Amino acid sequence: MATHVVTMIPGEGTGPEICEAVRMVIDASGVDIKWEYEDIGLDCLEKYGTLLPEKTIQSIAKNKVALKGPTTTPIGTGHKSANVTLRKVFDLYANVRPVRLIPALKRPWDKLDIINFRENTEDSYAAIEHMVSDEVAQCLKVITWPGSYRIADFALKWARDNGRKKVYCVHKANIMKMTDGLFLEAFREAAKKYPDLETGDIIVDNCAMQLVRNPGQFDCLVLPNLYGDILTDLCAGLMGGLGFAPGANVGDNCAIFEAVHGSAPKYAGMKKVNPSAVLISGVMMLRWLGEKEAADRIEKAMYQVLDEGKRVTYDVGGTAKTDEYAQAIIDKMLAGTK
Amino acid sequence: MPTFTQEAIATKKKKKIELVGIDLYIITDKGVPQFTDGEFGPFKCEFISNRGTKVWPGFVSPDLLMVNWYRCRFMAAKPIKDHEVADFLVQLSKKWEWSAAQKLWNYDGEAGYSKAY
Repeated sequence: MATHVVTMIPGEGTGPEICEAVRMVIDASGVDIKWEYEDIGLDCLEKYGTLLPEKTIQSIAKNKVALKGPTTTPIGTGHKSANVTLRKVFDLYANVRPVRLIPALKRPWDKLDIINFRENTEDSYAAIEHMVSDEVAQCLKVITWPGSYRIADFALKWARDNGRKKVYCVHKANIMKMTDGLFLEAFREAAKKYPDLETGDIIVDNCAMQLVRNPGQFDCLVLPNLYGDILTDLCAGLMGGLGFAPGANVGDNCAIFEAVHGSAPKYAGMKKVNPSAVLISGVMMLRWLGEKEAADRIEKAMYQVLDEGKRVTYDVGGTAKTDEYAQAIIDKMLAGTK
Repeated sequence: MPTFTQEAIATKKKKKIELVGIDLYIITDKGVPQFTDGEFGPFKCEFISNRGTKVWPGFVSPDLLMVNWYRCRFMAAKPIKDHEVADFLVQLSKKWEWSAAQKLWNYDGEAGYSKAY
């Protein structure tokens, strides 16, 4: 019997080829995982009449952990995002998005090592929207005390457990005094439990400017859902793009790991895209499962392959296909064990 | 020459508007509210959400954080009139504390309200 059973959701567009490459690498790391493949996305509409089949939900509910490829969210149609639905159904309230310098990407920053903790279930993502007259639309921004407190507490604990020093709350409480005010108040309350950490707050627009000017000053950021969505993509841009931006959606008893990027349907089937973001998400998953050694081996091998720059994908100056890059990482891992 | 504001106002399109339901925000510490069909005249509860996540009917994670504020969507089988909404609120107020009510309209036959996740 395998040590771990993980729900694998390859997703759409380039998702299946990316996830296959990632599965190859993770399996070669020596960790014992049984993968349960499940569907999601537009293809499911024809097959099951929904973007997110019940079978997929049940698999995640049973296994408590999933690795997920990208999906396509239809814009402005009646279909709800499968991603947002998953986060809500399993109450995966903490969206953890680390960004760090990757030498191969040659960025102008001296230092970039930020962990973003985005609240994942509330804010204007509560999907409470109405046309309140024939010319006025409104969206409720829902911020709750327990929802705000737990993401703050989660981030502060993660920071302490991982040797981080500074955690800042990002908000716009000077204007939205009730909603963002509550978010900030809950953060300050939770921070009282962590006197060993430097805690503070920063207004979201100033944070955006400071990130672009001097990202090295930031350590950990806690953000409401919408600001988190926007600023984590900004942070991915600081790193060099979405190709290396991983993500984890974590709840109290369940976690889904996925890249920040979309499904890039125009490249589907070409085995051209960089699987690193999903691979680093997989590395985060291995750490969450307690498989630290395997996670470290993959990460080390991936950076070695990137530093050498020979068998890398087109976006970092190479010509390797998705699976060839994965094989290069596997070869590097195997060479490291000899 | 019209100003941008005048031009914007002039682009407004006339739409056929129908009142089809109501979102009612109930405050309770006693868990997910329960209603029986026919309890409130032409209105039938279609779903209940908490913090935007559907908590009735269907699968609900045992880990789900719920607060004491529930959005209950009541739909009518046919287009309704304002007095029926008023009657509904009178009846409902006898049993439940609520913070707000939002009428649901269709505009040219299209829903002017979002679904729950």
